[in-house]
Amino acid sequence: MGKGKGKGKGNPLFSLLILSLLRHSISPIAAVGSPSPVNIWPKPRAFVWPVPQAILLSPLFTITSPTHQYLDAAVSRYLHQVTTEHHHPLVIPAVNLTSASPLRTLEITVNDLAAPLHHGVNESYILRIPSAGPTAYLTAFTPWGAMRGLESFSQLVWDDPARVAAGVFIWDWPKFEHRGVILDTSRNYYGVDDLFRLIGAMGGNKLNVFHWHITDSHSFPLVLPTEPELAGKGAYGASMVYTAEDVRRVVEFGLEHGVRVLPEIDMPGHTGSWAEAYPEIVACADKFWWPAGTAWPDRLASEPGTGQLNPLIPKTYEVLKNVIRDVTTMFPEPFYHAGADEVIPGCWKADPSIQTFLANNGTLSELLEMFVNSTAPYIVSQNRTLVYWEDVLLDAEIKVNPSVIPQNTILQSWNNGPNNTKRIVSAGYRAIVSSADFYYLDCGHGDFLGNDSQYAQQPGSKPGNGGSWCGPFKTWQTIYNYDITYGLTDDEAKLVIGGEVALWSEQADPTVLDARIWPRASAMAETLWSGNRDETGMKRYAEATDRLNEWRYRMVNRGIGAEPIQPLWCVRNPGMCNTVQPFEKA
Amino acid sequence: MGKGNSFFSLLILSLLCHSIYPITAVGSPSPVNIWPKPRAFVWPVPQAILLSPLFTITSPTHHYLDAAVSRYLRQVTTEHHHPLVTPAVNLTSASPLKTLEITVNDLAAPLHHGVDERYILRIPSAGPTAYLTAFTPWGAMRGLESFSQLVWGDPARVAAGVFVYDWPKFEHRGIMLDTSRNYYGVDDLFRLIGAMGGNKLNVFHWHITDSHSFPLVLPKEPELAGKGAYGASMVYTAGDVQRVVEFGLEHGVRVLPEIDMPGHTGSWAEAYPEIVACADKFWWPAGTAGPDRLASEPGTGHLNPLIPKTYEVLKNVIRDVTTMFPEPFYHAGADEIIPGCWKADPSIQTFLANNGTLTELLEMFVNSTAPYIVSQNRTLVYWEDVLLDAEIKVNPSVIPQNTILQTWNDGPNNTKRIVSAGYRAIVSSADFYYLDCGHGDFLGNDSQYAQPPGTKPGNGGSWCGPFKTWQTIYNYDITYGLTHDEAKLVIGGEVALWSEQADPTVLDSRIWPRASAMAESLWSGNRDETGMKRYAEATDRLNEWRYRMVNRGIGAEPIQPLWCVRNPGMCNTFQPFGEA
Repeated sequence: MGKGKGKGKGNPLFSLLILSLLRHSISPIAAVGSPSPVNIWPKPRAFVWPVPQAILLSPLFTITSPTHQYLDAAVSRYLHQVTTEHHHPLVIPAVNLTSASPLRTLEITVNDLAAPLHHGVNESYILRIPSAGPTAYLTAFTPWGAMRGLESFSQLVWDDPARVAAGVFIWDWPKFEHRGVILDTSRNYYGVDDLFRLIGAMGGNKLNVFHWHITDSHSFPLVLPTEPELAGKGAYGASMVYTAEDVRRVVEFGLEHGVRVLPEIDMPGHTGSWAEAYPEIVACADKFWWPAGTAWPDRLASEPGTGQLNPLIPKTYEVLKNVIRDVTTMFPEPFYHAGADEVIPGCWKADPSIQTFLANNGTLSELLEMFVNSTAPYIVSQNRTLVYWEDVLLDAEIKVNPSVIPQNTILQSWNNGPNNTKRIVSAGYRAIVSSADFYYLDCGHGDFLGNDSQYAQQPGSKPGNGGSWCGPFKTWQTIYNYDITYGLTDDEAKLVIGGEVALWSEQADPTVLDARIWPRASAMAETLWSGNRDETGMKRYAEATDRLNEWRYRMVNRGIGAEPIQPLWCVRNPGMCNTVQPFEKA
Repeated sequence: MGKGNSFFSLLILSLLCHSIYPITAVGSPSPVNIWPKPRAFVWPVPQAILLSPLFTITSPTHHYLDAAVSRYLRQVTTEHHHPLVTPAVNLTSASPLKTLEITVNDLAAPLHHGVDERYILRIPSAGPTAYLTAFTPWGAMRGLESFSQLVWGDPARVAAGVFVYDWPKFEHRGIMLDTSRNYYGVDDLFRLIGAMGGNKLNVFHWHITDSHSFPLVLPKEPELAGKGAYGASMVYTAGDVQRVVEFGLEHGVRVLPEIDMPGHTGSWAEAYPEIVACADKFWWPAGTAGPDRLASEPGTGHLNPLIPKTYEVLKNVIRDVTTMFPEPFYHAGADEIIPGCWKADPSIQTFLANNGTLTELLEMFVNSTAPYIVSQNRTLVYWEDVLLDAEIKVNPSVIPQNTILQTWNDGPNNTKRIVSAGYRAIVSSADFYYLDCGHGDFLGNDSQYAQPPGTKPGNGGSWCGPFKTWQTIYNYDITYGLTHDEAKLVIGGEVALWSEQADPTVLDSRIWPRASAMAESLWSGNRDETGMKRYAEATDRLNEWRYRMVNRGIGAEPIQPLWCVRNPGMCNTFQPFGEA
């Protein structure tokens, strides 16, 4: 815990900690290097368990907490979980079950019950479980920190009858404030139950932002009260939509799990589906994406599914105002993701009105500036912080002048690894890191294009990345080891608010949702919560393997279809599946 | 068509009797399709008739066909499938279909390699009766599946005025599942076998045991699973095996057991440490070179051919396995014999010091086991390594000539080496048919993922990466580069799911629909009437079939956005490969 990144804002909590130590006589002991027999994922900042022992959870065990709509729901959920889960770890913990009195109560104290679940909310907590009952203490500044502590507590309970690690002290807080998962629900549809399962698992991993890429060129599943035709005609079908009530349930579910629901309505690109309702506002809609014989720069879209909003049509902004107002009404989240990725020149150039504009010495970048100038202020006027994809600033061809982008805008990076992160923060913007080289969960499964001759080459042809533009597959280790502030100065690094793994759904839908996301998102969750290095500053991926394995199995038992990372044999035979050979770059 | 002559007479006869004219399948896409695409599918006027509420299937009595008939009757009357693209098919007011009448020539034909799987399906333009004719019950099952895929909507309707004549290109069409590295429940195996039947795949190659666990409870050697399984609940009892075998028979799927040996046997040491060389060792000690490793991957242990007890145990194992599995093929493994393992054993060190060789050791092992397996009326299947390994392989004379060798290395080259040596081949090329590839690797403490950003990631840690896409699998010609005579020795192929990073959570999505891609290539080929690869045309069909499998309870992974199926052709690329 030496780095002290959280110290700046942790001072009052630290006083509280000292106070609690004095009151309860638990001596702080630095976490030792030897593996703990029971673990919490993501690994806490400070986890002190001098004598690994356990006490029973009393049959009358209960959790007390101050009244709070969402914390109450979490308390009920965790009470049910710890008393019924009866988790059996893969490796039986070498922990002595003492005959000390069982734990009767987990007593939760929250300083600021009114703190909303917004970016930067204090998520720190202190959890103290004594060596003997009857009471354990969970102290947090906010209800959201208390939820993090409840999750940690639940992971310290196992077996039947349920027992809990005892004589434990945890002080914990996140390294990065923004820790998210993007799901694209446009290319393929996911039911609300799938979103619940995702958000529930996110809470279990202490992830706090569900970035919902709701719409795209392929379908528009969001039913907007003022613009119902967008989903009415643009959704995949009447049953493949999200109603206002669905959204409300998802947002509520998020609040009960400490997960913000950040909506993205991508624009002006990736809007082909809008043309079903409003063909007049969409340039190049319903065209073949890359006509035969044309060069790549002349394509109409980055992938099949053409269409970009036309910034020259007044009606575009009439529709957009309705869309933005509806979205900000449905989603209380103070961030608003407005997309702005992959604006493709060929699409706008294919539109007659835009051709006239260009013929009169207009440029495509001016067109995008016009669009941003006509929408960004309106979004900001709804008390929203804008989030855009990096393209709006960094695209090689169509990008705006930085002056057009409000300075408190957050830019989400996906190209070019750490280089683009650096370009964003150098320009003074805050950054969310979703580098495709590290954080794209869909990569490495070929591609979805039809009629693609690359798979029909002679045997012996080099397969490259097997058709995946961002291949290979990002393993949990690749994700775990990535430092999202790599190559930045201290000051630049402060502008990196966090990261998001992303599942684009060209080749994903509910059948593979769990396995594509988990446990790889867990890898990012730990790196962004407590880092990927041990006390000596070394990358701790080797030590993390067994812990992640246990956590993956626990997630499976909790109903999340996380994919396996090793044969069961490896967990049962610690160290035997390691390699001790140095990696030789091929 | 060599063996189809008498069947062909039957076909002609049936055509004359029922006045459906054979018309060459045309190039334009059919509004309703069967996966894998039949050899001959004639539907001159796309139209449909209702399935009568009293619809029934009649068939001669046969233990397994009866089960299939009941299953398909229930399926066609309750599935109410809604295709992604509503078929442009006219529902005529003709009388509904009341009966599918099945005729089978040879009810006694067992489900063995090479069994006749042909069928003729005729659905008239008006009811009341459709006809399914097959030589064997297993062919009838193939026809029932095809019939079921021609039924859709609610109320159920069926393609009418259809004539299907269908038979497989390759006799052996399989899936290999490794149940040792991670365990799968019997329900998972049922779901797999059921989906195989739906894809007209006919061999479930069950890689039951390996170094990591020994889940098979053998009556005479119960300690092998008793101590070598992952746990008391993670085993296959004799009753489980019997249910799996029966389930296979009801779906026309053979259950081919593999007991891998003498390598990949670390788990045997839990019960019999004395017969396993180098058991429970760290697989690749620090500072040693690759050739000195003790196993191909973590989990060490090879049976020791010098110990008489080895063969006592093996005879029990083989006898039990052949008793539990009626399948006439017996897969005896023999892949990846690692020199370092045998060399680490003191008794083998003595043998080597007396001028013995590792190859002699393997020959001793094969000579002491192969004849016994053959004596149980089994055809041996080995991995190619026993003949082709660079270091430890036997003299061909040791391998019975009717043995089948399964290839996995070096693409078409090793297939050619096997058939050139006169053996029959099953193709499971890792470059094309390994379904686990492309998901990194399972080794712990691997520094390759911790390189500085910008480092070339190669295959992302996967030795056989990249991921084999459905197209890669679909396009592979398993007789590539062979002469006509050599090609005859290729009996078929198997996609393989090794389970280092797979278990029930990903079983369906790792296997489907990619195994469907192989299923079509091996059933009716991957080329159209003009000889061109038909992967482009196959995309929409596979998409529809994938959704239908999902609706049938198989968690097959998606291959495209739904938008692509709804907008045919719009997701294609017309750019020649390599000119991006």
